[in-house]
Amino acid sequence: MADEMQLNNISENNFEQCLKCSICTAYCPVSGVSPLYPGPKQSGPDGERYRLKDPKFFNEALKMCLNCKRCEVACPNGVNVGDIIQKARMKYYTGKPKLRDMMLANTDFVGSMATIVAPIANFALGLGVSKAVMDTVMAIDKHRTFPSYAATKFESWFKKHAAAEQDKYSKHVSFFHGCYVNYNYPQLGKDLVKVMNACGYGVHLLDKEKCCGTALIANGLYGQAKKQGETNMESMRQAIAKGRTVVTTSSTCTFTMRDEYHHLLDMETGDVREHLTLATRFLFQLIDEGKLKLAFRDDYKKRVAYHTACHMERMGWVVYSTQLLKMIPGLDLVMLDSQCCGISGTYGFKKENYETSQKIGEPLFKAIAEANVEAVSTDCETCKWQIEMSTGVPVLNPISIIADALDVEKTIELNKNRIIVLRN
Amino acid sequence: MKFNTVVMGGGLTGLTCGIALAKAGQRVAVVATGQSSLLFASGSLDLLGYDAQGAPVANPVEAIKTLPESHPYNKVGDVEALAAEAQALLAEAGVKTTGQATANHNRLTPIGAVKPTWLSLDGYLTIDGDKLPYNKVALMNVIGYLDFPTKFIADGLRQMGADVEIKPITLPELNEARKSPTEMRATNIAKVLGNEDIVLRLAAEINAKAGDAEAILLPAVLGIKEDVLAQLLKKQVSKPMHYVATIPPSVPGARMQALLRKRFEALGGTFLNGDKVVAGELAGDTLKSVETEKLVGTKLEAENYVLATGSFMGRGLVSDYEKVYEPVFGLDVDYIAERPEWTHDNVFEAQPYMEFGVKTDAQLHVMKDGNVINNVYAAGQVLSGNNKVKLASGEGVDMLTALAVAKNILK
Ligand code: SF4
Ligand code: SF4
Repeated sequence: MADEMQLNNISENNFEQCLKCSICTAYCPVSGVSPLYPGPKQSGPDGERYRLKDPKFFNEALKMCLNCKRCEVACPNGVNVGDIIQKARMKYYTGKPKLRDMMLANTDFVGSMATIVAPIANFALGLGVSKAVMDTVMAIDKHRTFPSYAATKFESWFKKHAAAEQDKYSKHVSFFHGCYVNYNYPQLGKDLVKVMNACGYGVHLLDKEKCCGTALIANGLYGQAKKQGETNMESMRQAIAKGRTVVTTSSTCTFTMRDEYHHLLDMETGDVREHLTLATRFLFQLIDEGKLKLAFRDDYKKRVAYHTACHMERMGWVVYSTQLLKMIPGLDLVMLDSQCCGISGTYGFKKENYETSQKIGEPLFKAIAEANVEAVSTDCETCKWQIEMSTGVPVLNPISIIADALDVEKTIELNKNRIIVLRN
Repeated sequence: MKFNTVVMGGGLTGLTCGIALAKAGQRVAVVATGQSSLLFASGSLDLLGYDAQGAPVANPVEAIKTLPESHPYNKVGDVEALAAEAQALLAEAGVKTTGQATANHNRLTPIGAVKPTWLSLDGYLTIDGDKLPYNKVALMNVIGYLDFPTKFIADGLRQMGADVEIKPITLPELNEARKSPTEMRATNIAKVLGNEDIVLRLAAEINAKAGDAEAILLPAVLGIKEDVLAQLLKKQVSKPMHYVATIPPSVPGARMQALLRKRFEALGGTFLNGDKVVAGELAGDTLKSVETEKLVGTKLEAENYVLATGSFMGRGLVSDYEKVYEPVFGLDVDYIAERPEWTHDNVFEAQPYMEFGVKTDAQLHVMKDGNVINNVYAAGQVLSGNNKVKLASGEGVDMLTALAVAKNILK
């Protein structure tokens, strides 16, 4: 009876577990920088008590939440503060998304259009005049450098140059590349293919891949996010049915599909969740279980600082990427204090958020400047834009670092021998 | 993932143990569930403030000898030596303190009471005996900051014979922050006071309002990650200035947490933030591996394990309507079977449940079903036999048992 009573007392996001300690507020990147934001405790568990009584207590300032989930990581009582806030926005906010928000949110659509006309798009996005237009007409801040668009989409490159060889491998993974790899930085996708192939895995695209929807969720386009989510889940189920793990190179896409689909969009993901993982985690686990060995170039030398992206922190997976990087003998890895860079997807692109966004990132930029490194490494692509724009230091995904440092021939050789050893 | 030691708990206990082991060359992982009780820290560290009869203690090292046998201090060995080690460990992490284990000093609580303590952070107000070192002080507070009840504190100071004037201070940025009145907490104010320029202007504001006071007292609202700015302000203020503890969240506590973690990571330690151990594989009297909530499919394997998960608040202990239990491994717990006996009706009385905790042997090994598990140790508030509120012994038990466990592991 006692156990049952306690079980029945737990609400969806643990909001009644809040003991009002304000620790979440201490670690919220927006609180303290933006005085109009009521902070996680007030916006989350405190406000929820009122909203349950009457929806009119919904406060529009909740849209200032970055959905970074640092409050959840900090909370000693397991309250899902960020989820409470996002759910409240979904439930009570009645306004319609602006054209600008729709545009920023539709990374797929905008990405496809831009890739077709990449040189023009890059030129236009960099142009003073069009920046001014974006600034005034669209309210996209003029200080932002837009990530440039690649001339050839990753998917096109893959189909033309890589797809045919993938079947010759005995083991296989599927790759959810995400919008960023596809439209802005295909090199990361190429690096992933290089590393996986060297490890003896063929790489395959999903039957149908849509943007994971994180930007749609952030901009209030929940219906569309769910529709795209269902397509992704379906494609992933097909891959999983073939015995393939779905790997990614983006912590945010991974977090969105593993956790937000279920928590925010009420989608069924239980059968997919454990088969969807970050490529660094996939590799680390194989190595940890003794099923894979990597060999690195003797002449590789680099000093790199690791930046913990918010969703990486929330997933608790920093250790996978950093332990993997630490295996590279020539890599001098510096851990930066885990803190938000301020961009939070499309948030920092909006004119009204630019200042807050840069203020949030300031301590991080300073730490990077002082770290005296050749590059920063992080698992999130929007952190990359923000850090490169704000510090001028190049940012590399851990997979790109592995690809660069890897001794491909030796790695292939090592793992061939391993198979023979196992057979003997 | 392989380590020499896995420490469960990332607060003062877990980090102290982790640092001591990493410093000795071990590969250590600390698994930390959310922020720790350091966020409630006062800025002082207690070793033993009161004896078992409730009388204030002058010399903790001597008074500890009179504690009942069940108290965890009886399992740490040389208290004085370990206390010195603890103070040095803090200093190496950048947490400078004053005080000594053989002579308590007094600290001022956020409601103006005076309590004996062992160490206080540099820059804090410390009181010898029951007299302030000043005849006239200015008690300053940031306008709109409510977690610093100046009237209570002034009363406390006046009882020590001082002349006190309360002076509100502010700056445009602090005024701006008041737009979100619920967020005027110590940690947010520290974020606002986060650069040199604003600290210099704050110093000017303080100097302008100081009047003829001999010294300035200010709530501890500076330096959430390091204490450079808190020191700078002290230097820029033209009179002696001291920080006074606030109601949590605690800025010096957040700073200690950040500095200790940094030190641990600089020694090569792995800090798993926002994760927790949820299961373990026991084989006879040995723990083989543990699993965490977030690292699904990856076991953490180590030669030794340390349970530093705290008491009820840290969820190191859990109670339901019938029992008190240790939630990860189901270890043996000392507690009173009859639930009505857990608490006293008078909240100001010593509460029996405060002494509940996991059973350990003389080396601080934990037990399950009456058998010692020979590679799992417990340290800090999860241990039984210590009422940290009644004895004012929290941080001392945390750090000394953590160091004792580290020594036992390294033996
Ligand atoms: S949500 Fe968690 S961290 Fe925030 S006030 Fe409540 S218990 Fe504290
Ligand atoms: S999700 Fe991030 S921005 Fe939103 S309340 Fe939590 S800590 Fe603050």
